[in-house]
Amino acid sequence: MIKLIGAALILFAGTIIGFQQAARFADRPRQLRQLAHALQRLETEIGYGHTPLPEALERTASATPEPLAAIFRRAAAGVWETESFSFRDSWEQAIKQQWDMTAMKKNEQSVLIRLGSTLGISDKEDQLKHIHLALLQLKSEEDAAREDQGRYEKMWKSLGLLIAVLVVILMV
Amino acid sequence: MLARVAHLLPLELKTLLERLPEPMQEQLEEIRIREGRPLEIGFRGQSRFMMNDGSLRQAADGAYKPSADTCRKLLERITNYSLYAMEEELKRGFITVSGGHRIGLAGRTILDGGSVRGIRDIGAFNIRVAREVIGASAHLMPKLIDRTRKTLHSTLILAPPQQGKTTLVRDIARSVSYGLWPTIEASGWQGRKVGIVDERSEIAACVRGIPTFDVGPRTDVMDACPKAEGMMMLVRSMSPEVLIIDEIGRPEDGEAIREASHAGISVVATAHAYDLRDARGRPVLLKLLEEGAFTYVVELKRTEQGVMHRVVPAEAISDSPASRETSAAPRSLPSAVHAWMGRRRADDP
Repeated sequence: MIKLIGAALILFAGTIIGFQQAARFADRPRQLRQLAHALQRLETEIGYGHTPLPEALERTASATPEPLAAIFRRAAAGVWETESFSFRDSWEQAIKQQWDMTAMKKNEQSVLIRLGSTLGISDKEDQLKHIHLALLQLKSEEDAAREDQGRYEKMWKSLGLLIAVLVVILMV
Repeated sequence: MLARVAHLLPLELKTLLERLPEPMQEQLEEIRIREGRPLEIGFRGQSRFMMNDGSLRQAADGAYKPSADTCRKLLERITNYSLYAMEEELKRGFITVSGGHRIGLAGRTILDGGSVRGIRDIGAFNIRVAREVIGASAHLMPKLIDRTRKTLHSTLILAPPQQGKTTLVRDIARSVSYGLWPTIEASGWQGRKVGIVDERSEIAACVRGIPTFDVGPRTDVMDACPKAEGMMMLVRSMSPEVLIIDEIGRPEDGEAIREASHAGISVVATAHAYDLRDARGRPVLLKLLEEGAFTYVVELKRTEQGVMHRVVPAEAISDSPASRETSAAPRSLPSAVHAWMGRRRADDP
């Protein structure tokens, strides 16, 4: 009886792990897309609205779903809260703190950090160029992420269950 | 005065400047920050270099040198992390921040078809602390009162930079607007409608259109507006009785002042000039003086003791045969010029 319950638990856990892994593959392109939308929004605020950066980030945050919104919100808040911070520091810290909450990888992190070191310190055209560059890079990451999703999402969904079955068989 | 601009400074600069003795902080007028070069501060018309330990010296060796990182942080803070939103300001070479403080910038300019489009690689900053000195015009006002019209005479105020022109006109605006006429004969007079054209946002220091300095209850401010256009807009829309303008000098300014004075408005304007003789070397000012657009000319000089002013009736200049010769000093006409010296301590509250 206990063996049966144990086997059921292992099967259940394996399935959950598999689904979670699959979800990460599904989340990454979605979040990359949201990030691109957020940067486009920021581009509009900077290019047409001439909105000051902290306010532009707040507005972007309010139009972006979590967990991405928190990055923008924290980057805006950081410059006021920590006096010794430059915007670059605040932006970098916000990204690093929040990154584990997202499904995104190292590549897009470095794209964002590079963007942060140019935001706010040059004229409008320059800003728009940098945001454009970041958008292009994110787009190629998104394409790669979609490919990965197609390849691994289904695999992980069944793989979790199959490994659990294997463990159960070995134990019996 | 340091406290007023401290929020603009990066932490390392702020800590250093806070080591200055209290009275020195109060008298601070300028902070000059140049990347990789000695930090200079200005107070009471003097300037000193600042050492790493917070002491002040006349010689530059061993002085604290702000790093590139410090300058970047400073630039971010004064532009609210948004240099891109400051294109107009960069074209003019300075930024006015809330509180009326003006920050001059120097660096490599970007040209567009031969005219300056902005500054990039900003390497030098000059933070000028704005001060509101209530009562700054108390000594001068009685000399400028127009008894028949119960208002002020049109006046041109001349001084080199850093002598307190803006502080003076701000206080004139405030007094006229409140109706605080500083003589007994004028005590019953009402306040006048005042219009200020504040191209550099220095007189009223508007933030989102609302003055942060007290410029009086009957004062309208046209903020960040080119002077000539602003004057005409105010004349049309707000019917001012006294117009206040800072730093005139372009031909179109002269045109607008002429229009305004024909409409019966008293114009109080300032201009950069060492003295009257210097002013007459500038065609726009010379023409206005000769046409009698101003009733009085005031020269300001700041000395160790305080601000001195000298009031000269403008007819004395235009009537004199020497007026067409810019080289003739006004002091050569002692019979026509009646001079008056006023004195005010510079560190009056």
